[in-house]
Amino acid sequence: MKREKLIRNLATFLSLLAIFGFLKLANSYTSAYIIQILNITAIYIILSTSYNLVNGVTGQFSLGPNAFMAVGAYTASLLTMSPAEKELTFIIEPIISPLGKISLPFLPSLLIAGVVTSIFAFFIAFPVFRVRGDYLAIVTLGFGEIIRVFATNAVSITNGSLGLKGINQYTNLWWSWGWAIFTVFCLISLVESSYGRAMKAIREDETAAQAMGINTFRYKMLAFIISAFFQGIGGGLLAHLLTTIDPKLFSFFLTFNLLIMIVAGGLGSMTGSIIGAVIFAWGFELLRWFEEPHQIGDMFIPGIPGMRMVIFSLLLIIIMLFFRRGITGRWEFSWDWALNTFGRRIKFREIN
Amino acid sequence: MRLIMGMALALILFSFYVSRADDTIKIGVILAMTGGTSAFGQQTWTGMQIGRNIRPTVLGKKVELILLDNKSDKIESANAAQRLIQKDKVIGIIGDVASSNSLAIAPIAEDNHIPHISPSSTNPIVTLNRKYVFRACFIDPFQGEVMAKFAYNELKARKAAVLTDIGQDYSVGLTSAFAKTYKKLGGQIVRQVNYQSGDQDFTAQLTAIKETDPDIIAITGYYTEIALIARQARELGIKATLIAGDGAEAPELTEIGGEAVDGLYYTTHFDEKAVLTPLGKKYVEMFRKQNKSTPDALGALGADAYLIILDAIERTSSTNPEKIRDAIEKTKDFQGITGAITINKNHDAVKNVVIRQVKGRDSVYISSVNP
Repeated sequence: MKREKLIRNLATFLSLLAIFGFLKLANSYTSAYIIQILNITAIYIILSTSYNLVNGVTGQFSLGPNAFMAVGAYTASLLTMSPAEKELTFIIEPIISPLGKISLPFLPSLLIAGVVTSIFAFFIAFPVFRVRGDYLAIVTLGFGEIIRVFATNAVSITNGSLGLKGINQYTNLWWSWGWAIFTVFCLISLVESSYGRAMKAIREDETAAQAMGINTFRYKMLAFIISAFFQGIGGGLLAHLLTTIDPKLFSFFLTFNLLIMIVAGGLGSMTGSIIGAVIFAWGFELLRWFEEPHQIGDMFIPGIPGMRMVIFSLLLIIIMLFFRRGITGRWEFSWDWALNTFGRRIKFREIN
Repeated sequence: MRLIMGMALALILFSFYVSRADDTIKIGVILAMTGGTSAFGQQTWTGMQIGRNIRPTVLGKKVELILLDNKSDKIESANAAQRLIQKDKVIGIIGDVASSNSLAIAPIAEDNHIPHISPSSTNPIVTLNRKYVFRACFIDPFQGEVMAKFAYNELKARKAAVLTDIGQDYSVGLTSAFAKTYKKLGGQIVRQVNYQSGDQDFTAQLTAIKETDPDIIAITGYYTEIALIARQARELGIKATLIAGDGAEAPELTEIGGEAVDGLYYTTHFDEKAVLTPLGKKYVEMFRKQNKSTPDALGALGADAYLIILDAIERTSSTNPEKIRDAIEKTKDFQGITGAITINKNHDAVKNVVIRQVKGRDSVYISSVNP
């Protein structure tokens, strides 16, 4: 037993080292384009895995991550932006007084953004969890819209529809992947704990879980708050990657994209969410090939904008046809599985 | 699974394999060809291609426009900008129409020292504090000023009411400039009310406006809402003249508004009757030959953005992005398609504003206002 645990920890450590090495190489030898997509991938991983906690693990069909991301992105950006930049950007109405003078480093801003988003989630959890199923989806969708409308109208805080610009580009591979790994680690630990089992029980049958003595509201609230924390962080990282945000960025389409990632990846599986995020981030960029004009021999094919969306949709349909529950279903990657599948020979030798 | 993986692998290999001839000058174009603002992106692209047909070469080399779609999305815009610069090695970027997407492209162009021209992003903060970012259009404040002056001096309106689309940066900017200039001229803003894109019913706002009996009502949003507001205003018996910005310019305005929008004034970038430059005349002729519609402002601005870069390349006789940037900055009285263009110190194009009036199904040219 002890030996297996050691192997597992060693494998985790080695793979972390491998990721670190890969990022180090990517940082020095690849173009800014690849780095950009790698950053987006990490942010998508943070967003999709934390979204999966509510939708996949706890089984509550929430449509509100765009609201959480907006809260996180605006909080983090307003904290890190320099007072001079704020004064320049707020041309319609000046920014309200304490916010205009604050300028904090990146890490505290991100953490505050996460906490503020969690507090927001705590308050909206009360009305949201009074309903179940489809109704819950509609209520969370409503909150998403409220936040977007608030960001549009609170001109002296968010600069309204003009948006913010000149946010420092703090997000780099280390920040984004650091947070991605931390998020995945936290969420997997949570899902494997007794809390996670309670959440899964709620997903399978809420009434039965309640009958078994699980305080369903408490666990749903917990999932919601933790998910909101990481979505706030994800929003903050995205804002500091793009260096500009506005209310239109946080429309329902953002939620929809995340939904595609977790459903295509495998609802309820963190591995699936990660795979979904990677496919989504890289898929659209790789498929750009189909939109470029091509010269094959004497034949000239003009580029058709929108082609990659058609192909991506086809791929999604194929995935959903062949893997009814997403690519991984509810299957979760683990070292035990990896050892059993690939390491049979090694294990055999060890026993001998 | 193996099939999908195989396909993905083939795709990756192909994307590395694709190479282009080196004897061309590459200019990247990022436009919303799909998604929410795709109509704007497609109009711009049509115009830009005509611009390229007018001047296909510079310094004896062929110009290649590499178009990337951004799905009307900020994240995609940023990705596309990185791709154009790193993979395609473009010497300049043109794009996008929507200011929010141009804002995402700008920092990447700035970091890589590549000149970036937005054809029609009118939000003032797009070029604010940027060394490499320009625009081929005037900004909202300038348009708002012209609207206010026209309303006060030409239409002799003394009391104005303003309707703002609070969800559109464009509308918010236009309103603030209009109100400021109008007050400075001695006019009175009797009522200022807001709405949101997508609203259907404006009776509450219009009733509030009716009480104040204004001479003119400025609607700074986009065509759909302008048309609906006009209809509902006439139904309520409001007789005030209507004025709008370039957001009014679309065939849908008269389709939805019908008789209610008759007589509405709006400011815009371009009218074929106001075209005086040789390039402009050629553009109108070619546009007419290719399309059945009247040349639109977005297409003309797209072509102008392209021609400004070409003019800059020609003046420096170099394809070095740094030098092109310096040359764009020095653009003065360039006889483009929408008129004589000068780039000012804020990197905005200074040029004529065209005022048009809706008459029946069409719009007629009223006047041009010099900067």
